Amino acid sequence: MASVQIQGLTKWYGKRRGVEDLSLEINDKEFITVFGPAGAGKTTILSLIAGIIAPTRGSVRIGGRIVDDLEPADRNVAMVFESYALYPQLNVFDNMAFPLRSPKSRMAEDKVKNRVLQYARLMKIDHLLDRPIQALSNGQRQRTALGRALVRQPDVFLLDEPLSHLDAKLRHSMRAELKEMRTQLGTTTIYVTHDYLEAMSLGDRVVVINQGKIQQVGTPKEVYFKPASVEEVAKQFGDPEINIVDAKLRIVKGGTQFQLQILGENTPLAVPPEVAEELSAYQLENVRIGFRPADVKIAKDGKKDVFHGLVYSFEPLGTTSVLTIDAVDGTKVRTIVDSHQFYGVDQRIAFKVEPESVIYFNPVNGKFLARSGVMLESRSHG
Amino acid sequence: MKTGSSFFQLLGQGSKTFLLLVYALFALFPLVWMVIMSLKPDNQMFSTTFIFSPTLENYDAVFLRSDYSRFFFNNLCVSVLAVVVSLVVGVPAAYALARFQFKLKEDIAFTILSFRFAPEILVILPLFLIYQKIGLYDTYLGLIWVYQLITLPLLIWILRGFFEDISPDIEAAAQLDGYSWWQVFLRLLLPLVRPGLVAAGLLCFIFAWNSFTFPLLLSASNAQTSTVVALRFLASDTVHYGQVAAAATISALPEVILALLIQKHLVRGLSFGAVKG
Repeated sequence: MASVQIQGLTKWYGKRRGVEDLSLEINDKEFITVFGPAGAGKTTILSLIAGIIAPTRGSVRIGGRIVDDLEPADRNVAMVFESYALYPQLNVFDNMAFPLRSPKSRMAEDKVKNRVLQYARLMKIDHLLDRPIQALSNGQRQRTALGRALVRQPDVFLLDEPLSHLDAKLRHSMRAELKEMRTQLGTTTIYVTHDYLEAMSLGDRVVVINQGKIQQVGTPKEVYFKPASVEEVAKQFGDPEINIVDAKLRIVKGGTQFQLQILGENTPLAVPPEVAEELSAYQLENVRIGFRPADVKIAKDGKKDVFHGLVYSFEPLGTTSVLTIDAVDGTKVRTIVDSHQFYGVDQRIAFKVEPESVIYFNPVNGKFLARSGVMLESRSHG
Repeated sequence: MKTGSSFFQLLGQGSKTFLLLVYALFALFPLVWMVIMSLKPDNQMFSTTFIFSPTLENYDAVFLRSDYSRFFFNNLCVSVLAVVVSLVVGVPAAYALARFQFKLKEDIAFTILSFRFAPEILVILPLFLIYQKIGLYDTYLGLIWVYQLITLPLLIWILRGFFEDISPDIEAAAQLDGYSWWQVFLRLLLPLVRPGLVAAGLLCFIFAWNSFTFPLLLSASNAQTSTVVALRFLASDTVHYGQVAAAATISALPEVILALLIQKHLVRGLSFGAVKG
């Protein structure tokens, strides 16, 4: 059990950037998910913490102790690799016993047996212990890899996309199982993933990383509701993707209130007063706004404050459907609708945008400006 | 329809068996012929084919009445040591060429392979002169050294493929599990490349054992090997085919025995990609 501090961690692979100037504090027993697209530097972070690769600059502390000069074997860190990295010539039991039999641990063989059995039961692979690795399914390999990492009872537990090679159904159940397990184990965990659902459902906090740099650190709610930027954060979370549109900011009622003009229509979209207050400091004429598909509601035509468009596509997905609307100015607006209703292509349609759910971004650099509504639990991390 | 397909299946099976049989005869016949010849007395060499009065006279002449066994031992010594040296040098080299990124990596790998491009006879003259000068002519060390030209490229290139097949993650995982690099190498990597190691080692031994040009020109009475000495039975007055055959039979034995012993590994090792996680 230990906290992890990362300071100014930088890694260049020759002229290619791995990660740049990464600083992060991870509390004892915290479950951190690191989220980012492929090539963002996620695995590099884990390898640096584990000591598999040496940083170009910066340092890592585990449990307050600087580990920069320690070999991977001396860091008491366990890692589950994306490829599982099981030892092909050993069976499941010997794979799991491997760390316990190491010269570092030198555990007595009967203790090894007990410990392996204990964790094999936890991972539900106790019936597979004498199977060779080649005879396992992907899911079973993944459990073996997790089990091998767990048996050592490490200070820090590093997971590199452990669910990415599983089929969708298994991934879902493993996610639930991991969530259950983390409460049992209570080990500091850093979990790397490119799946925003995993990142949000598992993490106490989510670290969003892109192009080797940290874009945002926050609770899953913070990252979802107050994304730090358009491209790197807002667009990465949620499916279908968040709607991002350019908006004109109009001052009404003598400069105390704002309205937005969007989608090429005159329909005003009111800016909530608390947001208006924050926005007035920036003196902007234009903003970029984002609203989630779920916050777009189909309305009756002719009503006040509605926008118009034609149905562009309609994809039923079971209980809900994704409806894409071709708005007046040609913007494609994505919404989530009930599957009971059917929409035909090119059907005229009117919709409303929930003013309380709009997120405001800087039109130039796409950074977060303000948002109203949503009460976020007051945890002041990072 | 069904009978038709099973007829063709049968035909396919039958012709496959037939072709394999033909090939087996083709491959085995020289060996069988060699053994038969080695058992014939000189005067029946040309007058009989399969029916003759067998004798161990030739073996007696080769082994008890000549010093062939000394050269046989020479060959064994030089070949085994050449393989050992190749293993000691080649395994780490193959690992490095598979794992690490360094300048001129591919050039070095290619240079090593290129040792096998030129026929031995092409480089023998300068080698002969150099060996004379530095006193390596007609020594074990000299032969072992020059055999590296034959064995090392083979070993490095076969093993490099095996090391490349092992995910670096496995090494990292084992290091995280509390093992030093050396322990990882000895306990995990070597067992994983064992099929390749065995196959490459055997091939190296066969090439070294059969080597003719180098020992012919770089050794004399002292370090000469059995391949060269076998020619002596073709000597001056008459050609003792029976004795040549006996010498060749004995010479082929170590290879045959080794190959049979490690047959299982040999097939796996030569079909590559045997390391699957």
